[in-house]
Amino acid sequence: MSPRPHVPILKGKDLQLGYLKNGKRREVLSRLDFELFVGEMTCLLGPNGVGKSTLIKAILGQIQPWEGSLMLEGKPISSFSPENLARKMAVVLTEPIFPGNMTVRELVALGRIPYTGWMGKLTDEDKNVVEKAIELTKIAYLKDERLSEISDGQRQKAMIARAIAQDADLIILDEPTAHLDLVNRFEIMTLLRDIAIEQKKAVLVVTHDLEIAIETADRFWLLTCGNPLQSGSPEDLILSGEINQLLPSKRIQFSPKRGRMEIRESFEDIFISGPEDWVYWVRKGLSKAGIQAVQDKILVQVDPFRITLGDKTFQKVEELISDLKST
Amino acid sequence: MSHRSYLFPISILLLGLSLLLNLSLGSVWIPFGEILSGLISGDWAKTSWEQIILNYRLPKALVAIFAGIGLSLSGLQMQTFFRNPLAGPFVLGISSGAGLGVAILMLAGSALGFALSGINSWAIATAGILGAGLVLSGVSLVAWRVKDSMTLLIVGLMFGSAVSAVVSILSFFSGAEALKLYTVWSMGSLGALGWTQVSILGILIAIGSLPVFLSIKSYNALLLGENYARSMGIRTGQMRWVMILSTGILAGGITAFCGPIAFLGIAVPHLARMVWKSSDHRILFPGSALMGAILLLLCDAVGQLPGLASTLPINAVTSLVGAPLVISLILKRNFSKDF
Repeated sequence: MSPRPHVPILKGKDLQLGYLKNGKRREVLSRLDFELFVGEMTCLLGPNGVGKSTLIKAILGQIQPWEGSLMLEGKPISSFSPENLARKMAVVLTEPIFPGNMTVRELVALGRIPYTGWMGKLTDEDKNVVEKAIELTKIAYLKDERLSEISDGQRQKAMIARAIAQDADLIILDEPTAHLDLVNRFEIMTLLRDIAIEQKKAVLVVTHDLEIAIETADRFWLLTCGNPLQSGSPEDLILSGEINQLLPSKRIQFSPKRGRMEIRESFEDIFISGPEDWVYWVRKGLSKAGIQAVQDKILVQVDPFRITLGDKTFQKVEELISDLKST
Repeated sequence: MSHRSYLFPISILLLGLSLLLNLSLGSVWIPFGEILSGLISGDWAKTSWEQIILNYRLPKALVAIFAGIGLSLSGLQMQTFFRNPLAGPFVLGISSGAGLGVAILMLAGSALGFALSGINSWAIATAGILGAGLVLSGVSLVAWRVKDSMTLLIVGLMFGSAVSAVVSILSFFSGAEALKLYTVWSMGSLGALGWTQVSILGILIAIGSLPVFLSIKSYNALLLGENYARSMGIRTGQMRWVMILSTGILAGGITAFCGPIAFLGIAVPHLARMVWKSSDHRILFPGSALMGAILLLLCDAVGQLPGLASTLPINAVTSLVGAPLVISLILKRNFSKDF
């Protein structure tokens, strides 16, 4: 594979954002510096209410920065006309608006609106772009289905196809995997990654799915209360421990080993021996059951699975827990 | 796009048939063939038929067509813009706004103790359009601030009741003659207009419909909501004014000339969506226009059945037809699913 280009398409410098309430300025975000690269998938992570939506609105040109600069391809966002901005930037928003009578193909074709005449008539080239977007998102089998008759995950893919048909270099998605099941979440995020790499687009995804984001993103933007925006590859942020910024509570911590958030357990007073992975799950079960200390040593054996505590053996973690609770 | 486009020739044929039916029904029944030959050649079997058709029934039928087109187009625009299946000229108070304008013109002079001379069709139309524009601007100002469509509906209803309260006060203080004039106007009538007024209405419908057809693409984008539309380069702020201006002229002008005509504006766009199974405005705008014209011609024909000496007020007929229609739409299928 040829090396991926490393060109920033979007650049924020010393950005300050907020909104007006009763004539007073309410600052939401300040001193933001970031760069978004073509050919990369960037995930914006942060707790609810930290200002992710405000940042997205600023990038979309819906609110003006109070201070600092926000440049798209080297020019301020505000200098683009709505029509030109639409050719540079496409979005998939959280609001669930679906005209039920519309077919998937018609929805994807709406992406050509910045390019068509006043009637919205599609040229042959427009039609090709639409078909290609449908193929890329692997929804060709849904082309003629109505939006009211397909699943949430399929609709989300159709919305992504619409954004692709808009033929913009920058695609922004606001929580595209919310309300979706696990398989769909993985599928959509890997699809977005493929699009970023293969179609040479800059893809910015706002998400709360840390684990899937680690698997798929090239770059993380961490936005947390009171901290400047942290940008870096997920791997670097994990190794440096900066990922824990997302977790202000001491009880929950990121486990570099398992690549996910975990409740910190106090298991100094429980001794379990056996194969590591099995011990892990037994310990988790005990911890969740609120068992802080066990006098005897616990032995976990595999093939067949057995847990031995003193002179008692158990087939299931559940049995062990109920025994410990009864004594 | 291609599917169901065969329905357009069928509906144009239906429009022709409804027009003939509308022209032939009334206190005197005139056969279809006579109407056709009379209109085409100018030779009528009876001079009374010529009088009836040319001076009374044809202008009335044209008004029905114009009003059917205008009300359906304004209903469809509002439903798409507000993303609300219940939006329409009546629910959002535009028609009551037009009513207020006309009431002020007809009743205020009488109520304040001086007679307004020169209440002609232009003055009524202007008053209606101004009233409609006023209320619609008020509703849109609120719509600007609240994004929730339920709130908007309530606000529209509140505007409507506030306006009717003002009309009640005006009626209370006005003289009997002015009151009668206004009451008759409020029952709705397609037939009271001469050729001058018909052409004025025709011009208004043309002016009001023009921005609709010029903004087809924007309305299609608005199907996904204002934020998506903006992200596709649509100037939504500008579109809001296009919508306000167009529905104000269409619904306001029609209400001014014909009085309130209920339900058409809400029901016809839904019928068009059901019949054409589409949400594409390239189909829905002409489809709704055709269907609105057909429906109002038929409603007028129902009010004219032979044997009845006088005609039923059109507003009553459209309500009697429209209310069960909307109820059945709601009961039959998920309203918002097809929307």
